[in-house]
Amino acid sequence: MNLSELKKGQKAKITSINSKGLIKRRLMDMGVLPGETVEVEKIAPLGDPIDIFVKGYHLSLRKSEAEQINVEVIE
Amino acid sequence: MKEIKVAVTGNPNSGKSTLINAIAGTNLQVGNWPGVTVEKKTATIKFDDLTINLVDLPGTYSLSPYTQEERIARDFLVKEKPDLIINVVDSTNLERNLYLTIQILELDIPVVIALNIYDEAKKKGYEIDTEKLEQLLGIKVIPTVATKKEGINELLNVIKDFALGINRIVSKKLNYGDVEESLKIVETALKMNDPGLLNKYPSRWLILKLLENDELVLKETGLKGDEKFLKQAVSQFLKSHNEDMESIIADIRYGIAYGVTREVLKKRDRKHTDLTEKIDRIVLNRYLGIPIFLIAMWFVFKLSFDFSAPFSDWLDSVIIGPVTKWTTVLLNAAKSPEWFVSLATEGIIAGVGAVLVFIPIIAVMMFIITLLEGSGYMARVAFIMDRLMHSIGLHGKSFIPLILGFGCNVPSIYATRVLESERDRKLTAMLVPLMSCGARLPVYAIFIGAFFAKNAPTVLWSLYVLGILLAILLGLFLKKTLFKGFAPVFIMELPPYRVPLLRDLMIHTWHKLKHFVIKAGTYIFAVSVIMWFMLNTPYGVEKENSALGRVGKTISPVFAPLGFGTWEASSSLVAGLIAKEVVVSTMAQIYVTDNGQEEKTEGTEETKNFLEDLKDVAISFFNALVDSFQNLLAGFGIKSLQVEEEEKKTALKSKLQEIFTPLSAYAFLAFVLLYWPCVVVGIAMKQEFGSWKIYGQAILIHSMMAWLVAFLIYQGGSLLGF
Repeated sequence: MNLSELKKGQKAKITSINSKGLIKRRLMDMGVLPGETVEVEKIAPLGDPIDIFVKGYHLSLRKSEAEQINVEVIE
Repeated sequence: MKEIKVAVTGNPNSGKSTLINAIAGTNLQVGNWPGVTVEKKTATIKFDDLTINLVDLPGTYSLSPYTQEERIARDFLVKEKPDLIINVVDSTNLERNLYLTIQILELDIPVVIALNIYDEAKKKGYEIDTEKLEQLLGIKVIPTVATKKEGINELLNVIKDFALGINRIVSKKLNYGDVEESLKIVETALKMNDPGLLNKYPSRWLILKLLENDELVLKETGLKGDEKFLKQAVSQFLKSHNEDMESIIADIRYGIAYGVTREVLKKRDRKHTDLTEKIDRIVLNRYLGIPIFLIAMWFVFKLSFDFSAPFSDWLDSVIIGPVTKWTTVLLNAAKSPEWFVSLATEGIIAGVGAVLVFIPIIAVMMFIITLLEGSGYMARVAFIMDRLMHSIGLHGKSFIPLILGFGCNVPSIYATRVLESERDRKLTAMLVPLMSCGARLPVYAIFIGAFFAKNAPTVLWSLYVLGILLAILLGLFLKKTLFKGFAPVFIMELPPYRVPLLRDLMIHTWHKLKHFVIKAGTYIFAVSVIMWFMLNTPYGVEKENSALGRVGKTISPVFAPLGFGTWEASSSLVAGLIAKEVVVSTMAQIYVTDNGQEEKTEGTEETKNFLEDLKDVAISFFNALVDSFQNLLAGFGIKSLQVEEEEKKTALKSKLQEIFTPLSAYAFLAFVLLYWPCVVVGIAMKQEFGSWKIYGQAILIHSMMAWLVAFLIYQGGSLLGF
């Protein structure tokens, strides 16, 4: 399962990141790391991007990037 | 006297600008970093016997740069080697902020943390053990509330004590666990092969970056990512870990940040339903989000134009009226030749005026944009609009400069600075001229009045829509051609809402204005004077034989297939390069032959003496002030369309009806909408992007598009029998 498939309010643990190069680096710098817990907080009114809660702050990213982040639902 | 070089760094949204403003006050100098258009703020402050040279670095999340801003911050820290780094840390978001701190510690430069937004953290029930934080990282930690100027003196005292050697700050070399082994291997290899590098760069940082295979560092050092010693250093690792080195090191850094945070921060555990959460629930709501956003944008738009318009009109009337009049009176009294009076009033004063009338709108717009950014709403605009904007290759934030373009394209170009990446900035700037600005309205008004009086709203609306549709098409086209390649992804923090300080907004607006008046002012002034010479050389000849008339005549065949291949129309279009409303005034000058009466009517006013005029200026300013506030409250509608029917305009209209057909008139309007972005826009582009290249491209693309569209309208319409 990947991050883009999570429903609003769902919590999940990141298992791996498929993105490459600069994008992966950026995601990691922003605290999106394997093992981290994330929660999908909001989805933009037009369906994309999404707003996730990670490391105690809100981060928004497009679904195309979220698809590259594999997760495991916690609750 | 002792001097010290201090760099200020921190995450975006950590209150860094406010802190800088609080420290530097009026000493703040704003410029650009060399070669790029990223704002550079510096200040030199005297504190007791110490001179502190402060450099504010662009906000950054990491020392592996992602945006141009971050690249600058990284380059400065690594290459300029400041004596001391002030690291501004958002106390309400300790862990992610410390991730940057940990990277800064790798540089082996003494660090002082300004634990900012401390009041908000306390309000949230956070307790931060600053002494423990100092111990763990080997640095100084000063709690600050930049908005209230709290902790600023303590911060300055720490800098002073450090500079005088009273207080030593030795940053801790943090233990990176298993990776330390690999670091040693690389260090030994470098010492043997290329010891110069270890002096050129902060050594620990360099080694880590090499292990991470950081592209930028590899490029700068000329080393290869698969260098033998690098492979050797990581081989152990990659066997036992299932990740690449970059991920492992990022993980270690975040691990330390997490550990430190856990030790120093006590949170009273509450569910995070703070104010930001509550606002976002409404503002980003699935159904309410877009309506609220549209209303907000309407207010932004209304505020920026209705509020500034009366002031622009006032400046305009003062310049055309009393200033011109009294200059003429003075010059005549000094027995200046007629051509000189004309140059002084129609060339120079009109030129200065052209600069001045931009001031109110730029001031108001910059204020609003800074407010949107500082409050945190800009990030929400991007969040809401990204889906739409992304489909034409833009970023969600591009929406703001584009919508402001409907008022005036010039501040829109400046507003592209809200975008992080240069590519997005340039692409947005290319599309801005398609937003039909206020200066095009007088042209529409006169033609619509002459040809489409019955369908005025539809025709006007169609022009705006035409611009938007072409912007979409051009966006799609440029995305595939000129701006092909790496499109930055959208990975953006949604910062908490905060009330920005009026002081910060004012400082920022003031610097922008100063910049515009000094830099753009000179160019606009020069262009106005050149235009005067075009219109008036040789002096006293018929308009047809002036330089402008001759240029018009030469190029007029180009416009023949569009239905308006006359020297009059072509000359007006050339004159309109300076600002599109000039098309109308030039046409009036050319078509409505001077019968001398214009001049005479002004004569009646001249009976007023200087003081009376001054009084009028003051009264009209007061009226402008009242107007601008009334506009905010008054009905919604485009005011500028209600053009007063002056005699001259009526005369121009009937003349236009003789020369244009409704079809060629519409083709002409489409052409005016689309062609050659005005010179002031060009100057703004030059200022923002450092060269004339973007303006050159815009001129080519837009003019070609204008010609093609007008051609299709005129020829297509002719075929259909209009």
